[in-house]
Amino acid sequence: MATNRVVGRPFCGTRVITMPDFKTKLAILLGVALSVVVLYGFLYLEREWEIGALLVMVPLGVYFLRRTNALTYYQHAAREMPRFTWISFVLGAVVLIMLLRHDDFALLMLTTVLLYATVSLGLTIQFGFVGVVNFSAVAFFGIGAYSMAALNQHFVFLPDLLIIFFSGAISALLGALLILPILRTRGHYAALITIAFGILFRTFLEVNDVLGGPQGLKVPALEMFGWNFGNSFPSEMGGGSFYVAYAIVALVLVAIVYLITRLIESSWLGLNMDSVRLDEVASAAFGINGPRWKIAAFMLGNCFAGLAGAVYAAMYGFIAPANFNLSDSLLLVSIVLLGGIGNAVAVIPAAFLIVVLPEKFQVIQEYRLLLFGIVVILILRFRPSGLMPRGLRQYFAGRFG
Amino acid sequence: MIKFQCMSRLWVLSVLCLFLTSCGEDSETIKITFIGPLTGGVSAGGLGGRNSADLAITLRNQAPDAKYKYELVSLDDECKPNVGVQVATKAAANKAIVAGVTHYCSAVAMGTVDVYHKFGLPVIVWGAVLPDITYGNDYLEIHRVNGTMINQNTVAAEFMIAQNFSSWSVIHDTTDYGKGHFKYFERALSESGGTILGTFGVNPDQQDFTAELTKIKALNPEVIYFGGLAPTGVRIRSQMNKLGMTQVFQGTSGIVSDAFIDGVGNLSEGVLAFREGAPTEKLPGGKMFMKAYEARNFNEPAEAYGAFAFAATNLIIDVIEQVGPDRKLIRDMLNETRGHESIVGPVTFDGNGQNTIAVITKYVIQDSEWVVWEDSEYASGKRFLK
Repeated sequence: MATNRVVGRPFCGTRVITMPDFKTKLAILLGVALSVVVLYGFLYLEREWEIGALLVMVPLGVYFLRRTNALTYYQHAAREMPRFTWISFVLGAVVLIMLLRHDDFALLMLTTVLLYATVSLGLTIQFGFVGVVNFSAVAFFGIGAYSMAALNQHFVFLPDLLIIFFSGAISALLGALLILPILRTRGHYAALITIAFGILFRTFLEVNDVLGGPQGLKVPALEMFGWNFGNSFPSEMGGGSFYVAYAIVALVLVAIVYLITRLIESSWLGLNMDSVRLDEVASAAFGINGPRWKIAAFMLGNCFAGLAGAVYAAMYGFIAPANFNLSDSLLLVSIVLLGGIGNAVAVIPAAFLIVVLPEKFQVIQEYRLLLFGIVVILILRFRPSGLMPRGLRQYFAGRFG
Repeated sequence: MIKFQCMSRLWVLSVLCLFLTSCGEDSETIKITFIGPLTGGVSAGGLGGRNSADLAITLRNQAPDAKYKYELVSLDDECKPNVGVQVATKAAANKAIVAGVTHYCSAVAMGTVDVYHKFGLPVIVWGAVLPDITYGNDYLEIHRVNGTMINQNTVAAEFMIAQNFSSWSVIHDTTDYGKGHFKYFERALSESGGTILGTFGVNPDQQDFTAELTKIKALNPEVIYFGGLAPTGVRIRSQMNKLGMTQVFQGTSGIVSDAFIDGVGNLSEGVLAFREGAPTEKLPGGKMFMKAYEARNFNEPAEAYGAFAFAATNLIIDVIEQVGPDRKLIRDMLNETRGHESIVGPVTFDGNGQNTIAVITKYVIQDSEWVVWEDSEYASGKRFLK
């Protein structure tokens, strides 16, 4: 079905045009293809001049796409057909995984990005929708990871898929305890409570020998659908690193979590959450129960973190309290801020930058975190509300489902 | 409009160029990876190790009789296990890298040994001290040149027995560190023939030790062994004095710091402790190493474990010179290392890849300073342990 919209077209300026379905789809597919190429380059390139060149190329490329209105055109297309966009991106990610199937390290990074993006989507619901601060995201990530390890050790008969879900549930339940003091405090105080919880979590792990103590504990590889994730793919299946399986699981996880986040955002649930964030008193006057939405968002967000943590633990094969520092929580928060608070799509490019960029700077050794800091500051200087700020709510067009 | 069209075409073209030129890897040099903390709180140790490994590579590249050219790929593990697993995967998955000199932090090494085993990359640990890194698995890929708390306590027990002490009471903190030390000291002591009269596990944050010390006083051992870190040690040593206890206070590597001496003041005289490694100038090849290190004008000092990173790198290069750049051959050859001469003394790997004759240094506090036992007035007979 063709629709009339005011859009920008590449090289044509802004005007009212008809955007037929196939053109919309073509635009989306092109966007996906371009993303796959750029991400492939980002993950694959190693040498310093290549990375430097890419760092110059990408902003320039984005600039040109913006100036030629291609970006606006694409944004409209994506809004027009969110489901098609979602499916294309998932397929694009599968293509990316297949392209990288022999490259263990790139897959490890890609999977880490997807898992961090999953946690950040949880934070998006907490920060971006309802406005509950959470500076202990990594603690819930860690609860998921340790649940995975503990359940795997003590309940061997449980299938791993179920354990992943349990890990999410345990995170959500422990989060339910933390929400009680948070509901009774506001602003900085609520933030402090979550920071305290993060520290408490780490200290608890360090003194607790059952969970491996400060030296951490090993986590066996996942086993799902009769497949041990520790094995590489045999050559008759085309070969490939064992990380391919983890990457697919992480992709499924992030795709589902993204879908949930977007469905919440576009429905009356999201509307209620937004109103609680913008003005709690006013929304209470309209009969919206603020605490209820806060609890719901906090638990759901922590559940996402727990799910991601479980997969993360199994993939890395080893977890220790030192993995779950306040600085890692801040890293997750910075993914959300860098992307643009409340914009679910934005966490994915932001997670790529935050996770992969310091790794790419390994070539400059001890100065890498310095340069990384400078890059982040530059981005926030020129894009103060994040790489992709959240757009205005659409009440009619472009629903999932 | 046309201008933009042109420029965007130019852009696409240059991206394509980037991809085309990035294909094709050159590999006439042999790559060895170094992994340690280059940023963060313990980066001083990591940078010292990196420089030392780099020095070993450079010296060998200058040597006229070297068969191959070598290149060091240094990676930063930030002393975080998750980052460690990442960079270990990066190094191990890279076929061009044939061996590694890896890890300063124990928790990181614990996390990465599985990665090295999975990808078959032979590595030599140059700084991490936890016994389980080598003894917690039977991976052929993992070796270590520096000593562990096992070596430390073996030396400690044998030394103390040689000084004619025979009975101990133990106070250890309940962390991994304290418990580990107690376990290995007890084992070493039972082999050497000493007896432990009583053992007390304490929380590292505990302030008052009167209860434990009163019991120990009743047991009346000759030595009080303390497994833990300086702050707890300070409190115990001070409170011993309040109860009028004059036993010899024997600590572990955790109290070898100026903070301990500052904390206990005059009571520190005659306190003993043992530590893996040695002051670099005391090592067999230490003087030569320090001279070469200074000649390179690095920005950072070599630190305590720099010599071990240097020795590990040299050992790997020696093996590559013998068997060529093949991971499996290097691994097997490393496992056969017996009495290999290095600047930290001869290196002999046991079945787990642990260097069995690792250097342990004995320290005693003399006039409010940590002095190496052999240089002290206690060893020369001027002063006596009470």
